[in-house]
Amino acid sequence: MNEDLEFGRDTRKLNTEVKGGSAMQVLEVENITKSFGGLKAVDNVSFHIDEGELVGIIGPNGAGKTTLFNLLSCFLSPDSGTIKFKGENIIGMAPHKVVNLGIARTFQVVRPFRHLPVIANVMVALKSPRGAKKIEWLKTMERKAADLLEDVGLSELMLEPAENVGHGDLKRLEIAKALATEPDVLLLDEPFGGLNPLEVDFLTKSILRMHLDEPRRSIIIVEHKLYALMKLVKEVKVLHRGKKIAEGTPEEIANNKKVVEVYMGGPIKHA
Amino acid sequence: MLNDLIEIFLLGGLQSGMYSLLALGFTLIYGISGVVNLAHGSFYMLGAYMFVTLGAIGFLGAGTMLNAVFVLVLAAIVVGIIASMIYRVTIHPVLGDEVAIMVATVCIALIMQQFVIIFYGVTFPRVAWPEDSILMNTANILGVTIEYSYIAAFVVSLALFGTLMLIITKTKMGKAMRAVSQDVEAAMLMGINTERLYMLTMGLSAMLATFAGILITSSTTKSAGAWMWLQPLALSFAIVILGGLGSIKGSLIGGFILGYAEQTVKTTVPEGGAIVGVVPLIVMVLVLLLRPKGLFGKRVELEE
Amino acid sequence: MVRSYFRRAYSSFTAHVFDIPPRFMAFLFFLLLLTVPAMQLGSYVLRLLIMANIFAIFAVSWDLLVGRTGQISLGHALFFGIGGYTSGLLFQFFALPIWVTIPAAVAIGALAGFLIGFPCLRVKGPYLALITMAFPLILSNLVKWSPLEPIFGGELGFRSLPPFFPFLPFTQAIMAEYYLILLLLFVSSIVIYKIANSKTGIVFVSILDDEVASKACGINVTRYKIFAFTISSFFASLAGCLQAHILKLANPPMFSLDISFLPVILTFLGGIGTIYGPIVGSYIYVILDRYIMSILLPKAFESVGWTLPREFDFAKLLIFTLIVLVLIIKWPRGLARFATDELQNLEEARDLDERGPRIWKRYKKTKH
Repeated sequence: MNEDLEFGRDTRKLNTEVKGGSAMQVLEVENITKSFGGLKAVDNVSFHIDEGELVGIIGPNGAGKTTLFNLLSCFLSPDSGTIKFKGENIIGMAPHKVVNLGIARTFQVVRPFRHLPVIANVMVALKSPRGAKKIEWLKTMERKAADLLEDVGLSELMLEPAENVGHGDLKRLEIAKALATEPDVLLLDEPFGGLNPLEVDFLTKSILRMHLDEPRRSIIIVEHKLYALMKLVKEVKVLHRGKKIAEGTPEEIANNKKVVEVYMGGPIKHA
Repeated sequence: MLNDLIEIFLLGGLQSGMYSLLALGFTLIYGISGVVNLAHGSFYMLGAYMFVTLGAIGFLGAGTMLNAVFVLVLAAIVVGIIASMIYRVTIHPVLGDEVAIMVATVCIALIMQQFVIIFYGVTFPRVAWPEDSILMNTANILGVTIEYSYIAAFVVSLALFGTLMLIITKTKMGKAMRAVSQDVEAAMLMGINTERLYMLTMGLSAMLATFAGILITSSTTKSAGAWMWLQPLALSFAIVILGGLGSIKGSLIGGFILGYAEQTVKTTVPEGGAIVGVVPLIVMVLVLLLRPKGLFGKRVELEE
Repeated sequence: MVRSYFRRAYSSFTAHVFDIPPRFMAFLFFLLLLTVPAMQLGSYVLRLLIMANIFAIFAVSWDLLVGRTGQISLGHALFFGIGGYTSGLLFQFFALPIWVTIPAAVAIGALAGFLIGFPCLRVKGPYLALITMAFPLILSNLVKWSPLEPIFGGELGFRSLPPFFPFLPFTQAIMAEYYLILLLLFVSSIVIYKIANSKTGIVFVSILDDEVASKACGINVTRYKIFAFTISSFFASLAGCLQAHILKLANPPMFSLDISFLPVILTFLGGIGTIYGPIVGSYIYVILDRYIMSILLPKAFESVGWTLPREFDFAKLLIFTLIVLVLIIKWPRGLARFATDELQNLEEARDLDERGPRIWKRYKKTKH
């Protein structure tokens, strides 16, 4: 427990060192709103993500986290507001184009290609224009896919059809698929959902590792399991009923009364 | 010109009511169990043949109007029972696989077609009301000659449509149907026997097809044939796609759009009778290009 | 003692037979087909096999689109008919030789697939199936329409299209046609198989499995779907114009629903998504429907002294459809795939030492 916390702090320090002072904003979100019928799923949310930042977005169920991701990856378009990626407006763009610009995402509910073997799942992403471009010289697509699977610890299941693979492994496969296009911004939608503590631990480490490997890549994690997330990220944004109610470092958030209220359903009465 | 307009308005409207009834069964079974029933036209055909066969046996005094109405209802019930048995044996085992369902229903349609050919031969038995009944007379409304049976078919169609709406909104079975169409798994958890419900729905859908078959045939061509299932099938899927698969309101409105479109072509285009079968399909294609889920189809943006 | 000897002999035999890899089996199959004309089975059987090969090309093209890409098309007759009618039109009005009409027909068929692909992309699932079903119905009505009769030939369509080998005598011409079409089947099934198992084929399957997820992988789903439509319609129209030239006829029934459902049924018979399944399916169909039930059965009845009732002609389709229906319910994965699954099970269950002489070993793919 203590060790883990140490581990987390260290990386945070390292992260700032790598980045230095000159942070460039990769993703700027201004006042986006999206409503379904009468329900405002995302309500006037603004934030920006710096290059190489590791950010967590938390919030109770129905806070609009997944909708926010769908907006960022252009599966939905907002009713109002702007989303800029490296200064370019991406609203209304086809989802696959956004991926090829450099925003990749995973899904909360795993969506593997069930008829394909695990390695072919990754090769689909490598077949996209950006994925194909990012394959290093003198490397085959298969080699690159195998390397990616090794990074997330799936090399043993490489040739297994995805329908025979367990849920925890599929979660990691999702990440490998997203990484295949070497995104500048990686959106992870509840990567720890439905995983046991061991798997959470493993995944935490591999996310950290890929963060360190590619320091210029920003990673946004949506999660409502706070325990794992708080150790991992440097900054946390809290959504509640579609509104951003707080942002700050994990420590600040943990001590923020409003956030605690939202999560516990009311102010905590000290005994 | 004015005559044409009146003709389009009257004949098109009457025709539309029957088309809606035809499409209703197709949309019902899709909306509730997700089965694209390509054998829908076959139940239409089977209904007409059943009407002929049962009529030949003769109940309540052959050749009377009472007999004809009785046979109409009896035929619908028989076809309904046959359809739900066919459903249980052939479609239920492949439920969930879209392509397999379509192939299975196509096979059923072909089997029924061959069955009819073998048993009835390549003849065209007469499907009509008794000669002396009032329905066989013609009326002259605003200069358009219309047979009473045509008007009766329209009225009965709308009445049946209304009855079905009542069944769906008021009865317990209707509630179960709506529940299943929204969420099968949740409905199963609430203790709804989906298998039996699907069988019932299939029977109901086939009954509607039978009514449509007898009413339309007896007021238009007045003869049945082994290949008569194709045109109604094309028509009903055009209507249903136009209105949105699984939408009952859509099938009513789609029926009216296509009924009027067909009648317009029939009266205005020379030699239009020959290509009138194409009209619904072309309208359907055009509408789908503008609205991929039909006019009233369910919209699912990003299923998660 | 004797029983154990037989058992060993049997297992040795199965070891020999089942060690043959699928690729080699396919090769043997084609070899067998190559020797068919030498068997002197008569021109009727050759005709049948020619039709089987044409249906096989047609069904394989359908399988690529539906079995691999998941775009349900119930209107493949559109491409089949366009192939036949293009050939007919070009011959009728420009008197072009067959070596021009076929490539032209195929090109126009592929273009039609490309164009049909665009509107069809907007719709999905059952909507796609039904909208594709509508296109051939529309065209069949249009070519039949009497005002257009001077162009399309009305109900009769185009007759007396040129045969492939007008300079050869009848029996030799049939043999030559047989080989030509077998070659075309060979080439087109290999091309489709290669596409289906290439990296593009992987993307096709990803679209079948989960379109949203393949978009999230950065795949331009639209482009791949249109590609699948184009390839599929290319081969479907090839089948159509081949049939037109073999039967010397291009008529409205080429657009009929029967032709649309034909590849569906054949593919299901063999196994959807396998590419080789439809070939098996079309052979089973042709042999069962047009040989066993049309020739062998009546002959057998005659030899006993009975005559089949006239209705039996109609019962043939009934029986065949019943068989397909039972197959769909019992073995939804198709006959060919069922067979390969069984082979695989046997292979895995068998002890390695019992395999006997491993002469086929070098043909065997190395397994992971």
